[in-house]
Amino acid sequence: MLETSMSPRPFASALLLGMLFLYGCKDRQITAYRAPKDPAPAAMPAASGSPSGLPADHPPIPGGGGAAPGGAMANTAVPTAGGSDLKWTAPETWTPKSGSSMRKGSYAVKRDGAEADLAITAFPGDTGGLHANLNRWRGQVGLSPASPGELDAALQHVDGQGLHFEIIDLVGTAGNPPTRLIGAIATYNGNSWFFKLLGPDPVVAAEKPAFLQFLQTVKAP
Amino acid sequence: MNNALRQFRDFFVSLQLTVVLLILSLLIVFVATLDQVNLGIWAVQEKYFRSFFVMWRLPDSNVALPVFPGGYFIGGLLLLNLIAAHIYRFSLTWRKLGIQLAHAGLILLLLGELITGLMQMDSSMRLEEGQTKSYTESFREHELALLDKTDPAFDEVVAVPEAVLADEGMIQHPKLPFQVRVKAFYANAQMQMGEPTARAGAPVATQGIGARVQVIPLPLTYKPDEINTPAAFVEIVGPSGSLGTWVLSPLVGMPQIFGFEGHTWELVMRLKRHYQPFSISLLQVTHEKYPGTEIPKNFASRVRLKDEAGHEDREVVIFMNNPLRHGGLTFYQYQMNAAGKMSAFQVVHNPGWLLPYIACIMMGFGLIWQFGYSLLGFIKKRTAATPN
Repeated sequence: MLETSMSPRPFASALLLGMLFLYGCKDRQITAYRAPKDPAPAAMPAASGSPSGLPADHPPIPGGGGAAPGGAMANTAVPTAGGSDLKWTAPETWTPKSGSSMRKGSYAVKRDGAEADLAITAFPGDTGGLHANLNRWRGQVGLSPASPGELDAALQHVDGQGLHFEIIDLVGTAGNPPTRLIGAIATYNGNSWFFKLLGPDPVVAAEKPAFLQFLQTVKAP
Repeated sequence: MNNALRQFRDFFVSLQLTVVLLILSLLIVFVATLDQVNLGIWAVQEKYFRSFFVMWRLPDSNVALPVFPGGYFIGGLLLLNLIAAHIYRFSLTWRKLGIQLAHAGLILLLLGELITGLMQMDSSMRLEEGQTKSYTESFREHELALLDKTDPAFDEVVAVPEAVLADEGMIQHPKLPFQVRVKAFYANAQMQMGEPTARAGAPVATQGIGARVQVIPLPLTYKPDEINTPAAFVEIVGPSGSLGTWVLSPLVGMPQIFGFEGHTWELVMRLKRHYQPFSISLLQVTHEKYPGTEIPKNFASRVRLKDEAGHEDREVVIFMNNPLRHGGLTFYQYQMNAAGKMSAFQVVHNPGWLLPYIACIMMGFGLIWQFGYSLLGFIKKRTAATPN
């Protein structure tokens, strides 16, 4: 062809400069707009009966009834929290069990023939906010949702090893013995970590000190 | 034709240019594939393909140098080259029709990718049962939103993208009665409770939660299932002086509010929002499994779509392979938490989604025509040559 005798350089460099200029303008627009107000977090409908759809007096089924947040999620691509995981030391009396892929840790907590389920899960972000998660937990023991003020008042704040836990202790009204849930939420590395002990009231009550001690062992690697 | 114009034409129609560009494409695909080990698929796409230049950041500085042409550069030139050659060598004959069609298809394919790259917007909408939203959220990008919450009916929002925050400069905007000084910006950081002054080097926040937390910068993450959580130290400066410094991060779970000249303002770092002229309410999530298994049978979200203009108000069921298309957006069922009565949709805006299909059909027909024409010619010749 002819181009051997001609220099394409001026055009190439003009093009190069033009594109560099365009490249610099990307994603730098400050926008202003009028937006509707964010409504308060939606109230969660109260779970009817026990969390797993079992009869209200049925003891929770380990690994099943004590569904972790997301334990009942569909098999779509659900991002569980990635990145470096937290480390912990569980009491010897807790038996590690194989959890679902959603769980970071899973233990059977047995006492006097009854069993509670300890689930550790982590999800990116704030997963809908603290209050929504607390109300979800309330639903799991058969309690109706509470207002943000009531929830905040029921929260216990505990500092662990570089982590801050928000802890709630919920006793259901239905069942004999009733279902009890002690849950702790911590934020680490942009992820929300949930530690949830769920089971019959006597077991959970007796294990509460061990659970709180266990939280103190949770730390960044 | 004058000399400059001829030069211009010959550069763009040359086959040499095509070959050089194809070699560059080969190289960039090879290097980008290897670099996926370090960056992951998303960052590799941004760095190598959806850019005009592959930038290389000098170690320990903010200066980035272009080191190799990026996907847009190579693809763009290839597109110009193809179009120019197409026009230059065009001849309307039956024999050439197949080639013309195949090339036109290729041009359309390249154009389609350009449109997708420039205009596609991927975001998500996460709803709990009973909740209504009229915005979608970016998967990764954050923004600093300054909300004037004074009016009880609506908020006046000024949204500042991460790229502007990263300059750590002074921000002024006609809608803001004050200036915003970004004292420090970390593209990824975590927060922990603790005395802020204990961390040397970082600015000290005086207002909001910033007075009780420490910000710990983290290296950027490129993993597909992680997001970076930026943090910024932001000082609000009014005409009569500073109002204080706040720490902002999506990890802050409480609103940070201040008053200025009778208006109530809120500062928040959040996932970048895209407001739409319609709203979606989640009415019900359904999640069925095959009996006795954990295998999902059906998961569906019943939503109510309401157009602000009042033209539309209807219920829609979104389930796998049955997305909702409205207002140029497509809502796919993405995640679901039946226990938490939560459903999330992936929301895709891609004005060019049809182009690859059309392009492939054109190329297919073009090739069939081309080969068919040659085959027919060949058969004719053979028949003619066969002695009877």
